[in-house]
Amino acid sequence: MRNRAKYVAFFVVPAFALVGIFVVYPVARTVVLSFLDSDGKFVGLENYIRVLSSREIINLEGLSRGFPLGALVHNLLWIAIHLPLTLALGLVLAVLLRNVRGGAVIKSIIFLGMVMPMIVGGVMINFMFDRNLGIFNAFLKIFGIPAKSWTAYPDTALLALIFGSVWLWVGFSTVLYSAGLETIPKDLYEAAQLDGASALKIFTKITIPMLRPITIVVVTMTLLWELKVFDIVYVATMGGPGGASNVLALQMYTYAFRAMDFNRSAVVAVLLTMSTLLVSLPLLRTLRDDQS
Amino acid sequence: MSRLLVVAVLLLATVLSAVTLTVIGPWAGPEMEKFMPVLQEFEKQTGIKIEYKIYRAEDLANLLPAQFAAKKAPGDVIFMWASFIREYGQKGHILTLNGVLDETKFLPGALDAVKVDDKLYGAAYTGKVKPGFWYRKSFFAKHGLTPPTTWDEFVELLEKIKKIPGIKAPIASGDGVGWPLSDVTEHFLISFGGPELQLDLIEGKVRWDSNLVMKGMNKLVSLLKNKYFGEPTEWTLVLKQWWNGDYALYFMGSWITGMVEDPNDLGVFALPGANGVVFGADYAFVPKYTQYPEEAKKLIAWLCGPEGQALQVKQGGHVATAVGIDLSSYPPVDREVAKIIQGVTALPDLDDSIGGEFQPTFWDQLKLLWVAPDRLNDVIRTLQEKAPKK
Repeated sequence: MRNRAKYVAFFVVPAFALVGIFVVYPVARTVVLSFLDSDGKFVGLENYIRVLSSREIINLEGLSRGFPLGALVHNLLWIAIHLPLTLALGLVLAVLLRNVRGGAVIKSIIFLGMVMPMIVGGVMINFMFDRNLGIFNAFLKIFGIPAKSWTAYPDTALLALIFGSVWLWVGFSTVLYSAGLETIPKDLYEAAQLDGASALKIFTKITIPMLRPITIVVVTMTLLWELKVFDIVYVATMGGPGGASNVLALQMYTYAFRAMDFNRSAVVAVLLTMSTLLVSLPLLRTLRDDQS
Repeated sequence: MSRLLVVAVLLLATVLSAVTLTVIGPWAGPEMEKFMPVLQEFEKQTGIKIEYKIYRAEDLANLLPAQFAAKKAPGDVIFMWASFIREYGQKGHILTLNGVLDETKFLPGALDAVKVDDKLYGAAYTGKVKPGFWYRKSFFAKHGLTPPTTWDEFVELLEKIKKIPGIKAPIASGDGVGWPLSDVTEHFLISFGGPELQLDLIEGKVRWDSNLVMKGMNKLVSLLKNKYFGEPTEWTLVLKQWWNGDYALYFMGSWITGMVEDPNDLGVFALPGANGVVFGADYAFVPKYTQYPEEAKKLIAWLCGPEGQALQVKQGGHVATAVGIDLSSYPPVDREVAKIIQGVTALPDLDDSIGGEFQPTFWDQLKLLWVAPDRLNDVIRTLQEKAPKK
């Protein structure tokens, strides 16, 4: 028994030590930093009030005057547009490509966006919406819509990034849904067909409910990505113009490495961590329920 | 056999004792090609090897604080913003260069930006001037255009250019990180607010919503509203477009002379009434954590001394900060630049001098102004929030 305890300690202590040093300590230190001023004095919630009341995070004037609306609102917009689009597109593509010859190849091509480093993705989004080089403008030209650099204007910069990132992320949901479709028993479909159910009925009454666990994973992972999105914005617009495409992770970076204000940066980091925890909880609960 | 062993040991000792200095600078492509001969000359004269690495100042601003905190440095001689050198010099991460450089051999004020209380934390290498709007002489000749001497003539010129078939806009707008737009904006501020305004803004003595600032900004906005400036486009891409005739004018620093096919076809004019010009020196420093402090100091003294600077200006696109560089060292087109700046006040770059959070905000707000000139008041308010305050 004593030997077993020794073995457990031998294998577990290094892992705990690493997690402690590289995860627990930095997280705890960040939380502490968020309550201190630059001289290390405790200031309570002052940093939080300062950050949350700044126009960079929430810009109420933007509601009447247009972008920027503030990094927090931009992240919420990202979620509101990007999440349903990637979810729906991924599901539709997975279903459509299920029984198509060469579907696997098409899925691989779609997945390329996901495999590509997001930094490269950001550069490509910039090209996609560029006035001279962009495929988007080439498409609009067919309908006589004049070309412009969509990422250069405050009212379109964020939307261009969001729609561009759908292309980058949809491969993830497509692949997961494709795998999920394979797990649905074929006899369910056969029984439904024998009962005369329409294709739409089969899709809404069998496919979607049976894919619920996959949907939860896709929603959670996509939400987490949307909350911490940084690289695409950094490369494509640097949060501009005039902060019109700024997001929380980029603001955290700006506070830390441009303003050298690690306290305000820590506040944004804590807010982001709390948001991701909130998002992750349903996934953890579902996984626990599934296991039990 | 024993003789062979001695030779081998000696060879090994020589190899191990060879010093290789790492120089970090922002220049890549054609700009780097013009810098390398200077480094190679130093290698030839001293036998000290040099490895050159390219880092943008914006990236160094992220990298260096963490490296310094770990008592490390990625290079032995690093080119960086003056504001950064001053700040981290005071924090003790940079070696002082007092005694290494002869301060009397530099243009008056050239070293002020890297000096704090008589402690010299950096050295001024050559600089670049941002003299005004560049044009192709052949383009102007073809369309019967002449450089303006008054503001009204300038606007007339823009209107004429706008009507030329195939022109996207009279003035090209360089985009990217954001500095091309800030350079042209500074030129307007200096032209309509006077050279003192630039210095006062750097020191936070004047507000962004003051009449002096607004005078320059309103002039700029009037041009933006009339679509005389093109849509912001990546600055090297738009340089090619301008050269190919998509635009007629391009506000850029003197390094442009090294980036075009035929520098002799270049002409440049400042805004009428501009009594100051931004002279952006390239500053270098030796980090405290260098392995070779003496060799690094030797290099920086040579680079920033008359010999290194003369060799650099000879390559084109650079203006010396050291005194006594013979004008014949300059290529003809740079001599033209030197003539333009005669009799006007040389000024430090506004956003490089302020640095910090203001710099990216300034760049970003100008990107907004360029596409939404109606939002001037929003831009001014944001700039005032981030500007230094006295």
